[in-house]
Amino acid sequence: MWPIVARREFVERVRDRGFQVSTAITLLLLTGIVVISALFNRPTTFDLAVVGEASEPIARDVVAAAKALAIGVDVHELADAARARRAVDAGDADAAIVDAQRIVVRASPPAQLVGLIQAASLRDRSERALVSSGLSEQQVDRALLQAPLPIEALEPVDARRREAASVAFVGVLVLYGQLFAYGYWVASGVVEEKSSRVVEVLLATVRPSHLLRGKVFGIGLLGLAQLLLIGVVGFVTAQAVGTLQFPSEAIATLGLVLVWFVLGFFFYASLFAVAGSIVTRQEDLQTTMTPLTILIVASFFIGISATSSPDSTLAVLASLLPFSSPLVMPTRIALGDATWWEIVASIVISAGATAALIPLATKIYSRALLRSGRVRIRQVLRGREA
Amino acid sequence: MSDPVAGARALDLVGLDRRFGDVVALDGVTFSVEAGQMVGFVGPNGAGKTTAMRIALGVLRQDAGEVRWLGRPVDAETRRRFGYMPEERGLYPKMRVLDQLVYLARLHGLSRGDARAQAAAMVEELGVADRGHDRAESLSLGNQQRVQLAAALVHRPEVLVLDEPFSGLDPVGVDVLSAMLRGQADAGVPVVFSSHQLDLVERLCESVVMIDRGRVVASGRIDDLRAADPRRLVRVEVSGAGDRWLEHVTGVRITEPLPDGGIVELADGVLQSHVLDEARGVGSVRHFSVVQPSLSEIFRRLVTR
Repeated sequence: MWPIVARREFVERVRDRGFQVSTAITLLLLTGIVVISALFNRPTTFDLAVVGEASEPIARDVVAAAKALAIGVDVHELADAARARRAVDAGDADAAIVDAQRIVVRASPPAQLVGLIQAASLRDRSERALVSSGLSEQQVDRALLQAPLPIEALEPVDARRREAASVAFVGVLVLYGQLFAYGYWVASGVVEEKSSRVVEVLLATVRPSHLLRGKVFGIGLLGLAQLLLIGVVGFVTAQAVGTLQFPSEAIATLGLVLVWFVLGFFFYASLFAVAGSIVTRQEDLQTTMTPLTILIVASFFIGISATSSPDSTLAVLASLLPFSSPLVMPTRIALGDATWWEIVASIVISAGATAALIPLATKIYSRALLRSGRVRIRQVLRGREA
Repeated sequence: MSDPVAGARALDLVGLDRRFGDVVALDGVTFSVEAGQMVGFVGPNGAGKTTAMRIALGVLRQDAGEVRWLGRPVDAETRRRFGYMPEERGLYPKMRVLDQLVYLARLHGLSRGDARAQAAAMVEELGVADRGHDRAESLSLGNQQRVQLAAALVHRPEVLVLDEPFSGLDPVGVDVLSAMLRGQADAGVPVVFSSHQLDLVERLCESVVMIDRGRVVASGRIDDLRAADPRRLVRVEVSGAGDRWLEHVTGVRITEPLPDGGIVELADGVLQSHVLDEARGVGSVRHFSVVQPSLSEIFRRLVTR
C-alpha cells in the first residue's frame, strides 16, 4: 500500500510548478557560481610577442621562470616591430620583446611579466658580456646558473586539500538546504492532510504507519533525485570550466553527500512528521518545528566550521551524533580526517537512532492524526491507539 | 432488523463499546444493515454516530465488540472494499480531481487501469467530467461535494457508510445524492448514513437505527416502529382559532403546535370524539385526522433529554 502513497508524494511534487521553478533557479545559481568563481580563479596567462632571433632565448627564460611561479606565458613570434606594436596595442599581446633591445607594453604594464622579462634579459646580456670578456662558457654557466633560493612557507599549501575543503563546503551547503527543505515538506504534507481533513478518508483504507512510510519515502526519493541532479550539474559545469583539479575526489564527496542525505533525511523526516502531526494549521507548524530548526541550523554551522578545522573536538563529536553527523561527517571524510572506526560509528549511530526513532514517531503520528488543535506529545503517548 | 446470521449479506455491528477517557461513547451498539437496504442512522449530537461509523471503517478501534461483513469479522483487507464518506469532508486541495480519484481507487486496491476507468466514469456520472483536470480547491462547494461522493464510490464499494452526507446540500443536491444512494442500495450494497434531517430519513429509508448516549434505543423498519408506538395522535385545525385554544382542552398533550391547532397525544380513555367536540366548540374545523407518529415524534419520545 505505501508505494502507492510514495508515488503520489513524488509525482504530485514533481508536477508542482513551484518545485520546477525552484529547481531551475537552484541549478542556474549553482552554474553561475561555479562559472564566476572559475573566472576569478583562472590561473594567470600572459601573451608575449617576440620579434627577432635575439629575443628568443629571453622568451625561453621568461617561460621557464614563469612556470615556477604557476604563471602561463604564451609566446607568439612576430615578423617585425610594427606588428608587435599593433598586437600590444590591440591587446592581443601583454608585452613584446623587440630584438632583445626593447620591451613594448601598454600604459599599465603587467608588472609580473615585465619583471620576468627584465630579469631574463639581464641574465642574457650578462651572459653575453661575460663571454665577450673572455670567460669560457663553462665559467659563465657556473657564474650564472644559480639555483633559486628555496622558499620556506609557514603553511604549506596543499592544493588537493584546499579543493576538497571547497567541494565539502558546497556539499554542506546543499545538504543543509535539502535536509531542511525536504524535512519541511514532510511536516507540511502531514499538516495538509490534517487541515484538509482528507486524512480521515485515507485512514479508512491505509494504516497510519503506511501513510507515514509512503510520505517519507516519496519525498525522500525526490530529495535524493534532486540532490543527484544538483551534484551532477555542478560537477559537469565545474569540469567544463576547468575548476576541478581532482575530479575523482569531487565525485567521491558527492557520493558521501548522497549517503549522508539518506541517513540524515530519515532521521529528520521522522521528527518533522511528528512536528506536523501535532498541529492542524500550517501557521502553527513554525512553532513545533522550532526545535528542529535550531538543531539543523546549529549542525550546519558546525559543518561549515569543519571544512576549515575538521579535527576540532566539536567537529569530531558532531560527526558522531545522529542529528549533526550528516552535515559534519562527509566533510571530515573528504578532508581525510576521519578514521575508519569513526565513519563506521557515525553510520551505526545514525542508522540506529533512526531505527529507534521511527516506531516512536509512527506512534505519535498515528495517535495525533485524528486529533485537532495543538496536540501534546506526552498526552498522546500516555493515551492509547485511535 | 434481524440478528446477525453467519454468511448473511449484511454489515453487522455487534456489541461495540468505546470510551474516550471517562466518556462512554458507545455502549454495546448492535445493529445490522442488509444488502439492498438503506438504513438511516439517527440520534442527537454526541450520541455516538460518528464513533460507530469510524469503528465500522477501522478509522477508530473499539474497546469491545466486533464488526462483521458476510458473517466474518472484518480486517483491513475487507475494509478496503468499503466506501466511506466522513462528516468532515476532505480532499487534497491542490490535487487534480481525476488524479485524486485514481489515487483513492488505487488505495482501495484497484489496478491503475481500472482506477483510471472508474474515476472517469464517476466524474461523468456525477456531472463533473469537465472539471476532472482542475484542482479540487478551484471547484464550487457543490462540485466538491460531488467529488467527495465520487471518492466514496470510485472503487465500487461492497458496503457504503456515509456520515451526514446530506448536510450542506441544496434541494437539487439532496435529490442527486438520494438517487445515487438508492441506486447503490438497489444494486445490492448495504447503505447506512447518519442524518439530522429526520423527514429525509423517513422519505428515503425503510429502516432506521436510533442511538442515544451510546446506546441503540430503537432499530428496525420505520413502519414497525410506528406500529410499536403506543400513542394515539390526532391532528386538528380550526380556521382562524389561533394556536392557544388546544391548551384549554383536557386529556390531551400537544406534541407539535400548528398555526390553528396542532398534533395532540390522547391520554388513556380519552376518545377522539372528545377532541372533535372541543374543536367544534371553538369554530369551524378545517382539519381533523388520526395521524401516525412521524419519525421525529418517535425520536422525541425515545430520546428525551
